[in-house]
Amino acid sequence: MSAIVFEGVHKSFQREGKWLPALEDVSLTVADKEVVALVGPSGCGKTTCLRLAAGFDAPSSGRVMVGGRVVTSPGPDRAVVFQQFALFPWKSVVGNIEFGLRNKGLATDVRLDRVARVIKLMGLEGYETAFPHQLSGGMQQRVAIARAYVLDPDALLMDEPFGALDAQTRVIMQEELVRIARVNPRTVLFITHAVDEAVYLADRVAVMTRRPGRIKEVVDVRSVRAAEGWNDLERIEEVMDLASFVHVRTHIWRSLRDEKGSAN
Amino acid sequence: MPISRRMIHAGATIGVVLTAWALLTEVTHSISTSRFPSPLQFWQSAKQITTTGYADGTLLSHALHSLKLVIMGFAVAAIIGVALGLLMGWSRRAEAVINPAFLLIRPIPPLAWIPLAILWLGLGDGAKIMVIFFAAFVPAVINTATGVRTIDEHFIEAARMLGTRRRRLVCEVLIPGAAPMIFTGLRLSLQASWTTLVAAELVGALAGLGRVLNMAQQDIYPAMVMVGMAAVGALGWVTTRVLAEAERLAMPWLSP
Amino acid sequence: MATSHKVPLARREAFLLGVLGLCCFLGIWTAIAQLHLASPQFLPTPYAVLARAIHLVSEPFAGATLPLHLLRSLERYGYGVMLAALLGVPLGLGMGWYGWLDHVITPLFDALRFIAPIAWVPFAALWFGTGIGGPILIIFAGAFPPCLIGAYRGARFVDAKYVEAARMLGSGGVRTLIEVLLPASVPSIIAGLRVGAGLGWQSLVGAELIVASAGVGYLMVQGQSNVSTPTVMAGMLAIGAVGLLIDVLLRAAESLVRRRRGLT
Repeated sequence: MSAIVFEGVHKSFQREGKWLPALEDVSLTVADKEVVALVGPSGCGKTTCLRLAAGFDAPSSGRVMVGGRVVTSPGPDRAVVFQQFALFPWKSVVGNIEFGLRNKGLATDVRLDRVARVIKLMGLEGYETAFPHQLSGGMQQRVAIARAYVLDPDALLMDEPFGALDAQTRVIMQEELVRIARVNPRTVLFITHAVDEAVYLADRVAVMTRRPGRIKEVVDVRSVRAAEGWNDLERIEEVMDLASFVHVRTHIWRSLRDEKGSAN
Repeated sequence: MPISRRMIHAGATIGVVLTAWALLTEVTHSISTSRFPSPLQFWQSAKQITTTGYADGTLLSHALHSLKLVIMGFAVAAIIGVALGLLMGWSRRAEAVINPAFLLIRPIPPLAWIPLAILWLGLGDGAKIMVIFFAAFVPAVINTATGVRTIDEHFIEAARMLGTRRRRLVCEVLIPGAAPMIFTGLRLSLQASWTTLVAAELVGALAGLGRVLNMAQQDIYPAMVMVGMAAVGALGWVTTRVLAEAERLAMPWLSP
Repeated sequence: MATSHKVPLARREAFLLGVLGLCCFLGIWTAIAQLHLASPQFLPTPYAVLARAIHLVSEPFAGATLPLHLLRSLERYGYGVMLAALLGVPLGLGMGWYGWLDHVITPLFDALRFIAPIAWVPFAALWFGTGIGGPILIIFAGAFPPCLIGAYRGARFVDAKYVEAARMLGSGGVRTLIEVLLPASVPSIIAGLRVGAGLGWQSLVGAELIVASAGVGYLMVQGQSNVSTPTVMAGMLAIGAVGLLIDVLLRAAESLVRRRRGLT
């Protein structure tokens, strides 16, 4: 069972001698194999939440647990997909993907097998020896996702994973992610600015208030998706055309706009 | 190799200069050849030193001697300097402790170490290597430390997320990540090594290109001085190209 | 949890560690000096060096007091660097703006620049004897290339947009040169001057070690002949201090210019 649990998390940062609260009493549970999207106005602390779950920072009070263990430092059980890919430019595609497995000390044949399978899963055949700068943005993010997936992590943490891609590549990657999630379901927490993306990909969407961030509401998308048969449709644009989809999206936009409005 | 327009320009300029040089010295005698050698004198001196030798050695033996010292001093400085730079770039604590000592040593121009080196180690090869070491050491440390410190934070986070232990982190993340700046430092180190060696040999040496220059100056033999300078320039150029090639081979991911 | 390697230390911690480092360094130095591994003249204690330096401020050695030697050094340094700047900057700008000049000069420049400035010393000795011309030539040889290159880069790599904007605004050749290209090149010129000044100072030392009869380098050589290690080290200290001062001043000038331009 690998759930992500935020229990009464507070986080403040010190800037120029003053303590600025970033998160205030955040409590959220991402159930095992559930996909939760975190949306909110700029600066609300969504990235901070992700970083706490990843173990790059520690909460000021409260705690974050993944798979039943308190998070204290980063590790391959909580794989992160970065917005700017963060692929090592000096390693080939295979070199990047297998790096985490080498750290785990897996036997060579096991490692090569897992790498080959994830390369097939992400559609990277033929690019094994290429260097990141030779690949397009979409391909690079595939490698980044492959690098995360191959670790067989308890949780997948994605920080605006498609934010650096152009609009069309973004759509393709969103469809890819849905496809992969069906084949290989995981506990996923991801951050996005695009409400469309959140509603399309997630089981639940958590809306945060502006700084200091708090969970304002959690919208259940899964039941709507099941009831309205979104999964029966092949293309993303068909799903996004449905009245039920628009309804959920508008609800979340309104919720966000209240937050943004009071900020401006 | 196709002849580019730049090469033609370069050839033309050099041709013009050489011709003017020959004319002014040999033909019109506008420039006294006791002060500035003519091309012919230059050629004759070059022949002399390559065949019969000058200052107790041929051009080759002097050049190799100088080259040997440069390589030795540079290699030691590079290894220690890069290692120290990695430490100082990665650990803020180590940097804070080491910095004061480093700041005292850093502003001292490499050549200023020569009198001290002579006091400590005499006029032999040891003194030369010591001075070369101090000259080459500083740029290597500074550039490596900067290279490590400016590695994109996301690479480090990704590495930590992937469970990387320290040794692998240094070898497979820090060093490749800092590699471009490390090589910049090494280039500066090499330049400093040559400068320092020639200076040290000028002050006093038993062999080497600097000794050639020194003796030629004392013998009032300007043509030989010129040969010496040309040799220094040529060796400097060669070693720089070798380093550039090493840089290209070490970072295959930068080629398109 | 390990902190990021980029996060600077708290000022107090950095200061304390720095003091610790300095004390260790001076302590080890003093210990080695006191051990009398060789003659006492081999390695004087830090205190002895400082005492000698102070002594030299008022008592002459090798012809003059330390400040007077420094003044002589600075005098020829000033001439050399000014010459390098006055020749290098306009030539570099010209080469950057007019391609034909670049093609003519660059081969000559490339041929000569690999000759370490110090290698000009014997040449300078033959031409100028022990007059002031010798050191100035060597300082010039050291300072000239960076001045030229800085100006060249500033001129060559001016953002094409500035030139296009100037042309669109109907600016003629000379005005564009003076009011657009020249100011645009200033940051790079100053950076080149700073590097040139630094290299010039280093070349000065070399020159004075060999062809001078006054100056700080000469002081050190005399100190060495007289086997007075404290004198030599005092000289090194003085040279380092002045060199540092020059660098600090020029860096301050450079950052002033950059800040006024909004570059940093």
